[in-house]
Amino acid sequence: MSSKTRELFAPANGTVRWYHSLVAALTRAGDRATDALLYSSAYLVVIAMVEVATVMFALGLPPSPAPLVVGLVAFAVYAGDRVADVDTDAATDPAQAAFVRRHETALSVLSAAAYGLAIAIAVFGGPDALAITLFPGAMWVLYATDSLGEVGARVRRLKDVLVVNSVVVAGAWAVALLFVPLAFADAPVTATGAVVFGYFFLDTFVNTEIPNVADVEGDREIGVRTLPVVFGVRRTRHVLYGLDLALVAFLVVAYVRGALSFALAAAAVAGLGYALVLAALVGRTDRDRLLGVAGEAKHLLVLGLAVAFVTL
Amino acid sequence: MAHVTPLTLVLAASIAIGAAAAILAWRARPEPGAVPLVGLLAGQSWWSTCLIFQLRAPDAAGKLLWTELAWFGVVAIPVSWLLFALEYTGRDRYVTPRTVAALAVVPAATVALALSGQYHDLLYAETVTGSGGVVSVEQGGPWYWVVAGYTYLLGVLGMVPLVGLITSDAVAFRGQGAALLAGLFAPWLTNAGYLAGVVPTLGVDPTPVGFAVSGVLFLGALTRFRLFGVSPAPNTRARQLVFDRMQEGAVVVDSNDYVVDLNESGASLLETDPVDALGRAATDVVPEYDRLPDDGALDGHLDLADGAYDVTVTRIDNARGNPIGRVLTFHDVSELLRQQQRLTVLNRVLRHNVRTETNLIHGYADRLGDGPDVERVKARAARIEELGEKGRDAIATFEAGRGAVDGAPLADLIDEALATVREAHPQVAVDVEGAATDAHVATHLDIVLENLVENAAEHNAGEQRHVWVDASVGDGRATVTVADDGPGIDQYELGVLRGGTETPLEHGSGLGLWVVRWGVEVAGGEVRFAERTGGGTAVTVEVPVLEDEGPATERDAGPA
Repeated sequence: MSSKTRELFAPANGTVRWYHSLVAALTRAGDRATDALLYSSAYLVVIAMVEVATVMFALGLPPSPAPLVVGLVAFAVYAGDRVADVDTDAATDPAQAAFVRRHETALSVLSAAAYGLAIAIAVFGGPDALAITLFPGAMWVLYATDSLGEVGARVRRLKDVLVVNSVVVAGAWAVALLFVPLAFADAPVTATGAVVFGYFFLDTFVNTEIPNVADVEGDREIGVRTLPVVFGVRRTRHVLYGLDLALVAFLVVAYVRGALSFALAAAAVAGLGYALVLAALVGRTDRDRLLGVAGEAKHLLVLGLAVAFVTL
Repeated sequence: MAHVTPLTLVLAASIAIGAAAAILAWRARPEPGAVPLVGLLAGQSWWSTCLIFQLRAPDAAGKLLWTELAWFGVVAIPVSWLLFALEYTGRDRYVTPRTVAALAVVPAATVALALSGQYHDLLYAETVTGSGGVVSVEQGGPWYWVVAGYTYLLGVLGMVPLVGLITSDAVAFRGQGAALLAGLFAPWLTNAGYLAGVVPTLGVDPTPVGFAVSGVLFLGALTRFRLFGVSPAPNTRARQLVFDRMQEGAVVVDSNDYVVDLNESGASLLETDPVDALGRAATDVVPEYDRLPDDGALDGHLDLADGAYDVTVTRIDNARGNPIGRVLTFHDVSELLRQQQRLTVLNRVLRHNVRTETNLIHGYADRLGDGPDVERVKARAARIEELGEKGRDAIATFEAGRGAVDGAPLADLIDEALATVREAHPQVAVDVEGAATDAHVATHLDIVLENLVENAAEHNAGEQRHVWVDASVGDGRATVTVADDGPGIDQYELGVLRGGTETPLEHGSGLGLWVVRWGVEVAGGEVRFAERTGGGTAVTVEVPVLEDEGPATERDAGPA
């Protein structure tokens, strides 16, 4: 019925044809933009900035370039990782690998430029901000490359070591998320700061293991020992449940002890409820990439809820 | 947050660009030069960073601390630059831990002196804090000038190998070299202007800002000129590798006849240690050195302990055409000489011994009287003698290939071959069409032509036996076709001949066709076998005409 309606109207109405072609063009452009955002890790800039904004909101820090610095570093590290791992990613995510190969030079230069810009901005935050900004990059070097092997050290790259790999990622980001805004504000570490650090550390650990479920075959082939590779998907799901629930308990204790406001504690717990739903889907859906992005997007929900609770 | 000024913005830009270029260079590992370039760019970024921190420091002590810490970057730059230039241009053999340690002595001492500045005046005799909060060296101590001179020295040393890239034939290398040199000059000129006081800098050493320009140029070299994608580093090593590993011995002597280089084979055949030989007089290293010509091949051989060598001397000229040395190359001809001796013995055996023995067989057979068996014995003895003659032909062919090729008119060679065959096979009709030519070809082709015509006449059992000879000359080549109306050459024989070698299980029945093939090869030509129209075989020999023997003319085509 609907197609017949189009046949009747389309030849007579040029506006309709123009409308359909515009929609098609916009859809194609939207798809390309979505691919570019996802495959290049550009969306992580937004996620990282939201996370830093959450930290600044929780600690009552004044506005600073910290979110921009961390966002640029996140893009630099993850886009650089995409370029470095394009060969191994080809087996587990051919679409992403194809995108990265097509834009390899641009991604490489953009990621380097992003880190360079982040460092230059961090310099204005002082030596502490600079050191913390360099920290994720240094960790990535130890995590993803055989740099220690190059200088003769008998150490495996950290990406291959069970649990250590995700601990390094979580630690690097938790440090950056908390200490970059603190350094820019020249503020001390408080009890709330420690809670925020613990929250982001465990949360990032969980979010790191979720995409590992999709990469289990590829990781096994190249000798990367992740939770799903070693313990299987089902037990990994149980571990993620446990971590999320432990985090809920941690936040409740922090709230009871006065280290966290109600608005923040409630928003974070609501976010963890959302995370538990995602953990339940681990290994039970084919849309692994969407699952990973959904996990990252939780921080939008948490910040939105926190602001809403405070405003209301 | 520091107060943002145009100066800090420029410094921040130099940090951003330097850090980005350093990351790209880091990713380019293990390309030659990548790691030192990271050091250079990191040093530059650190210097700019310290300048910003110096501006931000709240008190004089803090400002002085960042001035001192900046030295880590300042001294890393020239060392990294030199190491980069050496690695990138393929001179990485100089980049050893010992070299790096030696180069780092002055930088390490400088940093140590900077960090202990409160106890001495070796680095700074006097520093002042300007109105903008910048600590500057009003008067350098003695070590300040040492490190300044050291920095400029390494800068110049690093430029030397890169100049070669600018003069390279490859556009990419020229672009790389130019970008790298411009990247070096920018901060160097800035620093020189600052030291000379010709650049108004409000008390700020603007050298890190100059390095921002370097960062852009190095980044451009990385991307636009594919700095690490098209690397000239293998060139120098490849040339050296070819020289070192070539099978022939090679010795390089300068214009004063001192040995300046020799390869592994050269050292081995001269039974000398390369380290000992370098710098010694060539007369002490190379036996009979005075016999060697100034340029060209040695007449005769040079007998060394492990064999005999042909020696070729090649003169080396500089850009103005003046001789600056010579390369002596030694080619081992021991095996060749041994083969030559064997051929000489074989020749004697074939020439005298076989003929003598067959003559004796003939004599004894005559004494047995007449009869078919006696005739059979005589025929076999004649066959043995014939094989001996072919063997001598083959040896004569190889002998011809050892020296300069003599020339003779093609017409004369054909006439000689025909005369021999007409005498041996009077019943065969031999037709030659066309006029005689005075084009010269290799003299030893008489053997080839004689064998060809003889084969054509002999291996033909027909009542009316014919041989046709056709010769033509054109485009510097002489072509002779010998055709017959016989049964043709066995395909098996041709297969073995084309294969070029025989085995105990796969071999021809005689020597004649081998003599033809070898003789033509020695003359630099080729031989082709084909069926003649109307039956029989057509063998075509094509050889080069010797140039200095008069103009080539053409004979008429024959019937084959």
